[in-house]
Amino acid sequence: MDAADLDLRNATYQLFIELGQAPSPAEVAAALGMDEETVRSGWRRLHDDHALVLDETGQIRMANPFAARPTPFVVDAAGRSWFANCGWDAFGIGAALHVDSTIHTTCADCADDLDIEVRDGRPTASDLVFHVLVPARSWWNDIGFT
Amino acid sequence: MLIFRSEDHVDRWLAGRPAGATIPLETLAALATAWWSSRLDPDWRPRSRAENQAILDGLGLTGPFWDLG
Repeated sequence: MDAADLDLRNATYQLFIELGQAPSPAEVAAALGMDEETVRSGWRRLHDDHALVLDETGQIRMANPFAARPTPFVVDAAGRSWFANCGWDAFGIGAALHVDSTIHTTCADCADDLDIEVRDGRPTASDLVFHVLVPARSWWNDIGFT
Repeated sequence: MLIFRSEDHVDRWLAGRPAGATIPLETLAALATAWWSSRLDPDWRPRSRAENQAILDGLGLTGPFWDLG
């Protein structure tokens, strides 16, 4: 990842936080004073480097731990509600923002509501568990499924 | 990468499929802090695979399942 792509990545994340949602190529282009195609081509390289995940139209799908689309993991943090890509990312949003958070999700088996307070990086609910189905070496084979 | 009420719920959800790895939320929270806390830093740099593996190792997430390859 060269310096220009790193700057693009950092600006994209910064805008995501400022907007409370994934920025469009036009929004990032305006913020950086570049054209949209430069943003789109840079995003594709970042996607290939696993620094972002794009959808089939070239829009941001994931800026991990943040999700651009609604998911079953909603995280209240820093005065907003965010979507996380998975249980791991749900804890990652508070960690990335350096704030306490509350995670709202459901048990993947029984669909019971699970509300998890995270204070100083630690969950208040200690009886729940996290399951990873896909082995680590295969996580990026299909990151959406992972 | 899902959250369950208990290990019994994981087993029921798997319905005979091979299990992956199940860890307590305390470990998940520590993993998330180690993995994501620098994500928005202005001087963020991508971590190497070895650095990522070291995070997993440091939390006792070792063995073939947690091997990043």
